[in-house]
Amino acid sequence: MAAPILRIENISKRYGKKDVLQGASLEVNKGDLKILIGPSGAGKSTLLQCINFLVKPDEGRIWLDEQEVHYAHKRDLYAYRQKVGMIFQDFNLFDHLNALENVRIGMVKVKGMGKAEAGERAVMELERVGLGDHMQKYPAQLSGGQKQRVSIARALAMDPKVMLLDEPTSALDPELVGEVHAVIRDLGNNGMTMIMATHQIGFASSLASEIIFMEDGRILERGTPDKIFNHAENARTREFCSKITELYGER
Amino acid sequence: MEEWLYIQTEVYPALLKGFWVSIELIFPSAICGLVVGIMVGVLRVYGSRPVMAAANAYVAIFRGIPLVVQLFIWYFGLPYIGIYMSPFTAAVLGFSLCSGAYHSEYIRGALLSIKRGQMLAAQSLGFHKVQMIFSIILPQAIRLALPGCGNEIIYLIKYSSLAYMITCIELTGQGKILASNSFRYTEIFLIIGACYLVMTSVASYILGRVEDRLRLPGFEHRRI
Repeated sequence: MAAPILRIENISKRYGKKDVLQGASLEVNKGDLKILIGPSGAGKSTLLQCINFLVKPDEGRIWLDEQEVHYAHKRDLYAYRQKVGMIFQDFNLFDHLNALENVRIGMVKVKGMGKAEAGERAVMELERVGLGDHMQKYPAQLSGGQKQRVSIARALAMDPKVMLLDEPTSALDPELVGEVHAVIRDLGNNGMTMIMATHQIGFASSLASEIIFMEDGRILERGTPDKIFNHAENARTREFCSKITELYGER
Repeated sequence: MEEWLYIQTEVYPALLKGFWVSIELIFPSAICGLVVGIMVGVLRVYGSRPVMAAANAYVAIFRGIPLVVQLFIWYFGLPYIGIYMSPFTAAVLGFSLCSGAYHSEYIRGALLSIKRGQMLAAQSLGFHKVQMIFSIILPQAIRLALPGCGNEIIYLIKYSSLAYMITCIELTGQGKILASNSFRYTEIFLIIGACYLVMTSVASYILGRVEDRLRLPGFEHRRI
């Protein structure tokens, strides 16, 4: 068994008196799709944001490709973040740039690629997520699903080793969820390593290599989709899963 | 006839000369003021604590002291510590620093209104702070600050008339000389007022065009 591509050990985060994360640990192998589920306030977002240090954890260590990330060293941190793509619930496209420029700017500014070369790559990534016809549009002219696909293309253009997806379809109209799921499914089939927080358990159970149930900043239970959704050991897990199945159905 | 001759031989050449001095004062002051304002605005939002405090102190001082007093200090005060400036240089310096203080406030407000998600997205791509500020945050903030900054530039056009107080004879200064020689205060200052009105109108037209050029699809203002 190969060493995990990403290893997270004992990550804790406290805001004032509230423990948002209490010692979360995770090992992710290449090609894994780990799904984080749990009620809001469980710490899913915080965990994802801690993984690329958008939130600085109070404790804990992270290894990528068996190299520990020393996030206090700015240069290490910026290099690491390039390798860990992040997808946000509310897309966070750069409002002053069109789709093509959104995808290109990271390659130009961070990787120092030439504009032409980066432009070609951006076109390729946008075509890959099915937006070849919308490259000149600004974020305000795109639908939610299109915006999220641009943001996925933007992350992919940086050649990440791991992608973190923070409820990528939660802000979308139900009709638009499918197009984003198709892109994510495609990524998974191509071997992308992903950690995703979501409430779409139908989608999760069909793709996930492991489901992780979190509550109150802790990982309560983890296992295959079948185990978590059908034979969960923890009563809280069972309760949450039955509630969310009722809501998001289609399992 | 005599009137016409007076206007042609005295008023027109003097005011034209003054007008060009005004233009020469306004352009560099507007540009320097804007650059200073952007830099100070950025430091007031993203600077370290001491830098932020220094930038805030700058704004407090240059926004809090009457501009005439500032000009007097630059031109009449600094020679006491061995720094001599031409009236023109002192005026441009005074205008730029005063204007910069006001611009920085508009820029600061605009920077603060950029959503945090924009920064998170930039950081997650591996941007460092300076790159993030200059290629993601400022291009958006400047668009938001433009109406305010334009206002400040219009204001600068008018307060450039204070330069004559430190013997930099621009439009108003020329007018004052003409008027005190001929005692035709009303006529001459009406003409001068009209000149400033033309300058500010042209400036506001140009600023409007700039706003149109920079306007992003999806951010058009709509009449309801």
